[in-house]
Amino acid sequence: MIDADLMALFTTLKMATISTIILLLLGTPLAWWLANMQSKVKVIFEAIVALPIILPPTVLGFYLLIAFAPQSTLGQLWLQLTGSPLAFSFSAIVIGSVLYSLPFVVQPLQRAFEQLGDHYLEAATMLGAKPLDRFFSIVLPMTKASFITAASLGFAHTVGEFGIVLMIGGNIPDQTRVLSIAIFDHVEAFEYAQAQALSLSLLLASFVLLTLVYLLNYKKVSR
Amino acid sequence: MLISYLRLFLLTFFTLILSSINSTQAAQPLRIAVSSNFAPVLKQLLPEFNQQTGVATQIISGVTGGLYQQIKYGAPYDVFLAADSLRPQKLAQENLIIPHSRKTYAFGQLALYSAKNPKLSWHNLKNITDNKSKRLAIANPKTAPYGKAAQQCLIKQGLWEQLKNHLIIGNNIGQTFQQVRSQAVTMGIVAYSQLKLNKLTGSLLPKNCYSPIKQQLVILKNTSQLEKSQQFSNFLLSSKIQQKIAQFGYLTKANTDD
Repeated sequence: MIDADLMALFTTLKMATISTIILLLLGTPLAWWLANMQSKVKVIFEAIVALPIILPPTVLGFYLLIAFAPQSTLGQLWLQLTGSPLAFSFSAIVIGSVLYSLPFVVQPLQRAFEQLGDHYLEAATMLGAKPLDRFFSIVLPMTKASFITAASLGFAHTVGEFGIVLMIGGNIPDQTRVLSIAIFDHVEAFEYAQAQALSLSLLLASFVLLTLVYLLNYKKVSR
Repeated sequence: MLISYLRLFLLTFFTLILSSINSTQAAQPLRIAVSSNFAPVLKQLLPEFNQQTGVATQIISGVTGGLYQQIKYGAPYDVFLAADSLRPQKLAQENLIIPHSRKTYAFGQLALYSAKNPKLSWHNLKNITDNKSKRLAIANPKTAPYGKAAQQCLIKQGLWEQLKNHLIIGNNIGQTFQQVRSQAVTMGIVAYSQLKLNKLTGSLLPKNCYSPIKQQLVILKNTSQLEKSQQFSNFLLSSKIQQKIAQFGYLTKANTDD
């Protein structure tokens, strides 16, 4: 691998790691809220969360591009806060990834929370445990496998992202050129050997990661 | 617990903001957004620029129309090498460039190329397209200046109506060249420089069938490295480099009128 490709690898891992952390922090309360929602309005929120699965990345990319433009309110605010434009920055692709991978984190967590049942939590409440204490000492240990699944899928899906990053990130070497875009670049430049090396390593890494996720689920089910 | 959760969340959020601040303050290479046709040539020229000035550079290559759009949305480039004069003009009107930085660095030429049949000539195109294999690759006329010029020639030749539903439209001229070179498409209209650079032969299209592909550069108003950008502009326009550009299959000011 040449230096530029190593840089793309580093950018990709950085993007996926930060996105996954944000996704877990945002997705956990969201999944909990959805899992415990009684009202029928729930289906609307579930649909919103699931949208990135079926929407072409270009739709999300297009709206984000407009939202991130220096002329927009969000773009202006970001410019004043950080001194640099939001569109075509590393932060932009992280925000894009978080939205894009949200269903992959929220859905497994929501299912796990729904299957948890009320009696453990009721027992804990009777014993005087506060809500967050209940979450960290009961819910989290019991749904650990789902958290690992959610984090792995969120991470893997972010690594596999292309369309949104291309639209809101451009192709800036140490900022927004992630592996998928580096491959595209190599193919267009007829550098098939480099494209091959990167593609193969992504293919293998994704396969290993997904196998581990399924192995984890298999263990959980067969237990 | 709630507080520690919030603290973790805010920490991540601010790290993200801080990392974007830091990245702008650190010493940055000169970012050159360059049209796909010229990117491989630029890659050959940059080592000399780096030797002369010590300025580190980064290349972002793409289709001229796409790069223009990115610049309008605030992409952090210093210099833009377009494949036409239309986008640089528009950027000037939109007050997005350093005044008077708009310069013509090359004139592009079109060529018909077929990897399977290197002797294919533009004048025979009509006979060939009458036959079975009508597929012809061109770059997207809406966003790629080389695609627009190819469209002009096909219209002038009276082939457009007949071919327009059989065209393989590449996102940029780099993609079109790659499609033809890999023989995924039998033939295509590519940049002559792409053939020159790769020591391939094709058939030059007559100059009078398309309006000149006047490739202009601009220094962008948002640049934080005006001096280095100007150094780069001067380098590219220097007679020595202009001669090299001509050797790569472009026309330059010195050889445009012959």
